[in-house]
Amino acid sequence: MENALLIGLSRQMALAHELDIVANNVANIDTTGYKADNAAFSEFLMPRASDQDFTGRDRRISFVQDHASWLNMSEGAIQHTGNPLDVAINGPGYIQVQTPRGQRYTRNGALQINSTGQLVTNEGYQVIGDGGPIQFQTGDHDISISPNGVITALSGTDPTDAPRGHLQIVGFDQPQLLQKDGDSLFVAPANANPTPSPLGTRIEQGAIEKSNVNAVAQMARMIQITRSYNDIAAILQQQGDERRSALQQLSQLPSSS
Amino acid sequence: MRALDTAATGMAAQDLKVQVIAGNIANMGTTGFKSQRAEFQDLIYEHVQRIGAQASDQGNILPVGIELGSGVKTVGTPRLMTQGTLSQTGNTLDVAIQGSGWFKIQMPDGTFNYTRDGSFKMDAQGRIVTSEGNVVQPGITIPQNATGLTINNQGQVSVTLPGSSTSSILGQFTLTTFINDAGLQANGDNLFSATPASGQPQDGQPATNGAGSLLQGSLEQSNVEAVTEISNLIAAQRAYEMNSKVITAADEMLQTTSQLLR
Repeated sequence: MENALLIGLSRQMALAHELDIVANNVANIDTTGYKADNAAFSEFLMPRASDQDFTGRDRRISFVQDHASWLNMSEGAIQHTGNPLDVAINGPGYIQVQTPRGQRYTRNGALQINSTGQLVTNEGYQVIGDGGPIQFQTGDHDISISPNGVITALSGTDPTDAPRGHLQIVGFDQPQLLQKDGDSLFVAPANANPTPSPLGTRIEQGAIEKSNVNAVAQMARMIQITRSYNDIAAILQQQGDERRSALQQLSQLPSSS
Repeated sequence: MRALDTAATGMAAQDLKVQVIAGNIANMGTTGFKSQRAEFQDLIYEHVQRIGAQASDQGNILPVGIELGSGVKTVGTPRLMTQGTLSQTGNTLDVAIQGSGWFKIQMPDGTFNYTRDGSFKMDAQGRIVTSEGNVVQPGITIPQNATGLTINNQGQVSVTLPGSSTSSILGQFTLTTFINDAGLQANGDNLFSATPASGQPQDGQPATNGAGSLLQGSLEQSNVEAVTEISNLIAAQRAYEMNSKVITAADEMLQTTSQLLR
């Protein structure tokens, strides 16, 4: 097979993957606490099994390989909602969530209270505080969450705030090791070492963190992807044409003259 | 191509968001209406190359992997249970709740529903009912010829009877509180019913145990904010458009590929 065809194909496959990533980013342009994915490519040098001894030796062939997708962990815009159970994390840090699959982390602070009075995510997973799940009592109203995560509520006619728990915000030395788990959740590898209350983190009540997808950048990326895909297709086309004409011309028997 | 399906989930999500916004805007003038919001989450990921996988015999660990997401889903349309502004109507049977709590309404089938809409009426028997004629609990009947109907902030209904100079108390409204107001199920007609998510209804009296106090001659307006809704509408429309552009791009790429074949 012609190498140019295969190299072109490797590029096209990588571009198709990248479009998938862009499509997922654009689909999640309005998902609370979503972090955009980006694709990274690397050069793949073909292992040489050719003879190097003669002059004008074989050239190296490099394919393209989609080698990684990396998370853009920058903060999304903070939108004020006025809902007392919405929290936005200002700074690095994640809310700890207990799921049936184990401990997960999220930046999606659109929280709810379940029927037993526990603070949960939209999926019904318990939010973990310093001392386990955060429990509200019947008759609690005017819930307030302080910038450092202390949750208090007024209960009944009592005019003093009663403590209800402390939101545990954790940070990671290497947040890029976090893996997406769907449902706006991240899962941390065993060696990630979450540290409580990372420096410079504040909690804002009555606000949520929007998705950090940059619409303009994604659209530009998408145009770039389709254009380079078309360019490669044109090269492949040219290669095909070249081969065809070569076959046609070379197969003509020389006229006997 | 996966991008086609992914973008389709994005379009479906934005379509739903526009529906929610339309419902909010349509109910901007509905007494006691609580605005809704569409909440989204990302769908599962295919880990083409897992983060932290071993890259070589020497124990190199991949610092990043390849994750391909499959789009977005709607996880819920929770209601924003904030207080709506109170507007004065001067009508003696208009009651607004300041604070948390719901009026308890008996439905024709005997079950109870809950509402924040306090625009009550009187039926032929003198009972205090909702605009649909359902009895407001605990069922207060106002005698004929009674004058000077007042409802105090604890929900006590009192009237002056003919031939009497002092007012007499006829009864007291019930206010029901839930631990999770957002878990109530909307049934239309401004009515809600309890669900396993809302927790058990706690019947009580106004201005006690965390329940709000009542205000006669006022109604609670909807808590829909026009500016928020319109800016959300613009954002949803643009997001829809961008998702459709992704579909166009994927389509173009597929077309390019198919044109290679001659």
